[in-house]
Amino acid sequence: MQVTQEVDSYRFLKGISRRMIKSWISLEKPRAIPWTPLGKPLDQCSVALISSAGLALATDKPFDQEVERQNPWFSDPSFRVIPRDTTAEDIRVYHLHINPDFIQQDINCALPVKRLVELEASGDIGCAAPSHYSFIGYTCQPERLLDESIPAIIGKLREETVDVVVLVPV
Amino acid sequence: MGLVQRQIEAAGFSTITLSNIPDLTAAVSVPRIAAIEYPFGLTAGLPGDDAGQRAALGATLAALQEMSTPGSVRHLPFALPEAMSDLNIHPPESPPIAKYIARHPWYLPNLLRREVPYQAAS
Repeated sequence: MQVTQEVDSYRFLKGISRRMIKSWISLEKPRAIPWTPLGKPLDQCSVALISSAGLALATDKPFDQEVERQNPWFSDPSFRVIPRDTTAEDIRVYHLHINPDFIQQDINCALPVKRLVELEASGDIGCAAPSHYSFIGYTCQPERLLDESIPAIIGKLREETVDVVVLVPV
Repeated sequence: MGLVQRQIEAAGFSTITLSNIPDLTAAVSVPRIAAIEYPFGLTAGLPGDDAGQRAALGATLAALQEMSTPGSVRHLPFALPEAMSDLNIHPPESPPIAKYIARHPWYLPNLLRREVPYQAAS
């Protein structure tokens, strides 16, 4: 029998970061949870990934890190498309709160596109979507992210007839 | 990420967040969580660990397929080995908000309450 211990949400949080996360959790109240049932078996589903690591193709417009340096409560609210065949050599990491070296070595640490394509090949999922997405997850002012970028991502998910979305925060 | 997940689920997609702070993700009432004890910047696995990354992503998708109740949380049996606990997960320079709070410690309560000071508004 495999025994799974509960994940410790605070293992990697120290000092003010730990206080901040505990406080932010205490600010939230339960609310109605949106629910879209899986309409068909996973092996018939198209799957897309979203990373909040601030990944952009080296050939794409960089995320503007100066936005956050000028106003540390905010960050560039835009998003980038990451095609399914993207490798670590193709991208740059713009999130200012993480060590970017690991993702810069292996994109699959944050956006496991290659693993998703393997799950397609093995028949575990129907297909890996053509496009995947990234934005910078840190902000205390998420309005523009939620009002502008996420609706645009949703439009692209619909265009590519995606069924399932796996979100990977950093 | 939880707010983003809610919005995408409400738009008609089945979603799951692979979270290393499941308590925070769950606090915003999201439909499905796969919890994993991997460090920041490495939520989906260690660099070069193809098998470990595949296991984590596969378990996340399997959890999504099996969950039938809004607010479900699956704790995945993967964690950073204790022997690797000294992995440097810190950015090359302090994040702007950390430098700002060091210079303006009286704004720490604002950060804890997630209340942006008026003069810092975007």
